[in-house]
Amino acid sequence: MPNRRYETLILIHPEQGDAGSKDVVARIRQLAENQGATISQLQEWGVRELAYPIDRQRRAYHILLEYRATPQALGEIERNLKLMEPVLRYLSVRQAENAPPAAARPTYGAEPAAPARAAEPVDEGGIDEGDTAIADGEGV
Amino acid sequence: MPKPERGGPRPPRRRGMGRRKVCRFCADKGMLIDHKDGRLLGSFLTERGRIIPARVTGTCARHQRHLTNAIKQARTLALVPFQTVYPQ
Repeated sequence: MPNRRYETLILIHPEQGDAGSKDVVARIRQLAENQGATISQLQEWGVRELAYPIDRQRRAYHILLEYRATPQALGEIERNLKLMEPVLRYLSVRQAENAPPAAARPTYGAEPAAPARAAEPVDEGGIDEGDTAIADGEGV
Repeated sequence: MPKPERGGPRPPRRRGMGRRKVCRFCADKGMLIDHKDGRLLGSFLTERGRIIPARVTGTCARHQRHLTNAIKQARTLALVPFQTVYPQ
């Protein structure tokens, strides 16, 4: 049975206090291990601001799980995550065998909650108008 | 017999001005496209949250493809917005 490298980023409901979050993290770790996954890394990014509200939450507790598991185990892990109430969202991605382990890079990890998007002047331009709406082209 | 020389090969014409754009990911091999790196991906979005076309940023086709995939994954995880004007 192939044992593959996966990583799953999980967003947890922010309003359960520190202990509550730790508890959820422990449950997720347990869940993965019960499925025979070997966890290589578990990063806790802490509470970070979301780019848009999910379930009316503007922030969430983020954890990143890196592990090896069989595809069947992954399916089972995802099914259980879906059933867990405090999990707002998750995304699993298969990693290349030779990919470097997710570094605790300063670009994510420790980034403080992004400043709230300033209320922009609401221009009802419609999303699908031509390309003229390009505002912040990279100055490349 | 080739035609008589008439100006030779045309110099590549560049509309507008400015230097040639170079794909940032080709220029810097250490720069990885990662769906978890919201800050990097955000720099390829407009203020409204749309993906900036490669012809503006100069990203090569291959990396633009990886980039759009990463941005779409990051959107799922709310690391990067779908749009920035949301109903309150």
